[in-house]
Amino acid sequence: MNYLELADRLIGRGRRMGANETEVYIQHSRSLSVRVRNGDIETIQESDAGGVGFRVLVDGAMGFSHCNDFSDRSLSETLERAIAFARLTTPDKYNVFTDDMPHQEVAGLYDPEIAAVPMEKKIDMALEVEAHAMKDERITHSSGASFGERESEIIVANSNGMLKTWRSSACSVGVGVVAEKDSQRHTGWESSARRFFSDLESLETIGASAAKKAYEMLDPIMVKTQRAAVIFDPAVARSLIGGIIAAINGERVLQGASFLQDRMDEQFASGLLTLTDDGLREKGLGSKPFDGEGVPVQRRTLIEEGVLRAFIYNTYAAQRAGVESTGNASRAGFTSLPSIGTHNITLQPGRDSVQDILGNTKRGLLLKGVTGYGINPVNGNYSGGANGFWIEDGEVVHPVQGLTIAGSAATILPNIDMMADDIDLNLTLAAPTFRVREMQIGGA
Amino acid sequence: MDKTDFSGGSIPRRRFLELGLKSGIAVAVTPPLLTHMVSCGGHAAGLGRGLDADKECLDRVIAKALENGGEFADVYIEHRHSRQIIMEESAFRSGLYGISQGAGVRVISGDKTGYAYTEEITEENLMRAAQIASYVARNGKMVDPVPVKTVNRKSFVTVKMPLDVIADSERIEIMERANQAALDYDQRIRMAKIDYNDQVRSRVIANSEGLYIRDELPLLFFITEVMSDDGRNRHMARERISEHSGFELFEKDTPESVAERAAREAIAMLEAEDAPAGTMDVVMENGFGGVLIHEAVGHPLEADNIARGIGAFTGKMGKKVATDVFTMVDDGTIPNYRGTINFDDEGTQAQRNVLIEKGVLKGYMTDILSAKQLDLTRTGNGRRESFRHFPIPRMTNTFIEPGKDTPEDILADTPSGIYVQSLSGGSVNPVTGIFNFTCREAYLIENGRKTTPVKGATLVGSCMGVISNIDAVANDLAFGPGICCKGQMAEVTAGQPTVRIRGMNVGGSRS
Repeated sequence: MNYLELADRLIGRGRRMGANETEVYIQHSRSLSVRVRNGDIETIQESDAGGVGFRVLVDGAMGFSHCNDFSDRSLSETLERAIAFARLTTPDKYNVFTDDMPHQEVAGLYDPEIAAVPMEKKIDMALEVEAHAMKDERITHSSGASFGERESEIIVANSNGMLKTWRSSACSVGVGVVAEKDSQRHTGWESSARRFFSDLESLETIGASAAKKAYEMLDPIMVKTQRAAVIFDPAVARSLIGGIIAAINGERVLQGASFLQDRMDEQFASGLLTLTDDGLREKGLGSKPFDGEGVPVQRRTLIEEGVLRAFIYNTYAAQRAGVESTGNASRAGFTSLPSIGTHNITLQPGRDSVQDILGNTKRGLLLKGVTGYGINPVNGNYSGGANGFWIEDGEVVHPVQGLTIAGSAATILPNIDMMADDIDLNLTLAAPTFRVREMQIGGA
Repeated sequence: MDKTDFSGGSIPRRRFLELGLKSGIAVAVTPPLLTHMVSCGGHAAGLGRGLDADKECLDRVIAKALENGGEFADVYIEHRHSRQIIMEESAFRSGLYGISQGAGVRVISGDKTGYAYTEEITEENLMRAAQIASYVARNGKMVDPVPVKTVNRKSFVTVKMPLDVIADSERIEIMERANQAALDYDQRIRMAKIDYNDQVRSRVIANSEGLYIRDELPLLFFITEVMSDDGRNRHMARERISEHSGFELFEKDTPESVAERAAREAIAMLEAEDAPAGTMDVVMENGFGGVLIHEAVGHPLEADNIARGIGAFTGKMGKKVATDVFTMVDDGTIPNYRGTINFDDEGTQAQRNVLIEKGVLKGYMTDILSAKQLDLTRTGNGRRESFRHFPIPRMTNTFIEPGKDTPEDILADTPSGIYVQSLSGGSVNPVTGIFNFTCREAYLIENGRKTTPVKGATLVGSCMGVISNIDAVANDLAFGPGICCKGQMAEVTAGQPTVRIRGMNVGGSRS
């Protein structure tokens, strides 16, 4: 199906049906998921799917509808529903669709090879990564290994003359295992996701990492409730950074629901904290040429040495704030309205080595796993469940689990006192290891 | 990846229902949806004769799915239309309408599952999906499918005011009433967000055992979020109601009442102080606190991880796992409840399943595959988010049976600790059994009394620990609606009476 032609036709149809402005968002995806366990296939799932989301404006009021049926009749009915809904909602002068702005292409977003690799090879990869993870004798069970791939084509068009498309691919391979000893059970999971098939990490590395995460947690010892340093592993950085990103969401700021709403250009965090968002990184899993409304994405510094430098906006929130969209409209597919999100977030690395940080920690928690909601973007509160390793006199002494950690943005972020140099830029939230000088830890 | 998440926060792509049917007290609606859903052979089928023709088509698809081998195959056809209206900052910011349809074909061969789906429901596409799904069954055991035949089952969903006769202006009015009630509650209420959702899901299930069953489930979900701000503190509170129901839900529980409950929490929590940290006793108020049990015990009792030999309750059937006061049930037949399903998405009759009785493990929750693997009966817990997913064991309405204590006595008998009144949500690792949940409204317990409100703390524990430490269960069972995420979404309720748990780890920031 020629989606560009279809989108163009639907824009015209929207106008004839009574919409002042129409936006058409089409997504078509093909995906494959293979899951194996104990050396044999557990599930194979394949899909080829797509749909259309319509956003229309009638006298400044907005309606949205979506369907996954491309028949002419269904498309017209769905469009009509959006127009009917627009007659119901409140007119708002900030409801506008974006102009057609030129964007630059981003290299390395689509790999035709993924689809060309035979199914048997993908099954074999899942089997192999599982075999690597099961090698260690402390590993007693497999939770399963998988290979997944997805290709997606997105079209954004609107009645301001915009008609854009981009295509992407991604694939991943991962495995989960269980380490057992007496009545103890610990799980470990590792995966590698990339835009290009040939960039996937070695299956041996992935398998060994999953196994290590499981067995290294054996024989945890509880510690007492106390205040001590907490060292955040890169895998748990989201627990702190996620709340900051939510708090600089331009819409949340406008609603007065952000702990950072009044802090622009102020120092609110440690000078070691510099946070960037780069939508244009080559082969980045969060990269894209334009956002969910067709606005070109950017490379931006959000926090510079602890000073708040930017909020992030889609078109609506930007209009309301009296600024330009920052290219941060995000959509969870054709069924969703544009919200606000980031692309490839990087917490810039520092100069310390991980060993420096451990060595300089008299007593503390090396945090490997965290549960809970992270920093609450409304008021900055922080509380989570925690596991990892206990550190005494610069050395890891034993695993810990079932702990809690807590604080607030105001007490945690200014107290980041060491930033390591280990960073994996393949992640959409890339961060090095860093240390918070002191946090409340709940234990026995 | 092992994590399951009982999310309470923002609700991405939630779709809810409209329209009731079957044993409706006032109305039984038979919309033409199902007739044009299955247009096998490329022509839209008419009701009656057409459905018979559809059955022959489904027989052909099932036969195709089992052509290479395999001991079970099914076809799941779904049509859903959904509506969402959002009111924020006293304006109707957006209205969303969605139509989604498709069909999935599954083949089970030994422990293997093959699955493929199509969004354009034609015989040709179903045959192609059957072929892809049959990939796993090569060299598998062969069975002869039984021709499908209609099965009728009792519905536990009744509708008095079907949503298809409700004008959108009435929905808008309900939302305005909630918004106004929230803002009028106190001048420190700064913002309300009213999120109205309804949907109707129609499903047809046919399988190689000869089953053909169909129904429609309406679902209504109404969420108010209210933010307070006194210039010093800020709190986002939430209250939700949801049932498989028509618009009469708002007569049982008015929009004003829902909004005021959220506003009350928002104001009460402005006074919150830092929570203490470390191990202490916890009293959980009745209602949505059932999330604790949903996470800590419910997920680990889903049979998929048991069949894999890795679940926390593996090998514990018939053993004493909890205190005598602890009885836990999953019941997909409680009239109109959000987790009620009539029959699961594999066509198995929903039922009341006692999981733990007086501390003894009595049953796991199974789907067809895990029941086969463990040689257990099918409990009616095979559920799926949509045709894009194959079924897995899931909860429905899960709760702790009421006990003999009164909530007042339990509190008075607890010298110190934390009183948890509402939760944001939680999650569990079903293998290790380590779980957590985050409080939204909580208080200190001092000398057997609820005193100072404390900021949202995460509480952690292990499933075996928590059920052996529940030492008091009150007589005030109540439920709350939830969205459970285990790789795919499911609508559920979690219920519990007021309970006391000895020694949980509280994630406060005060030493």
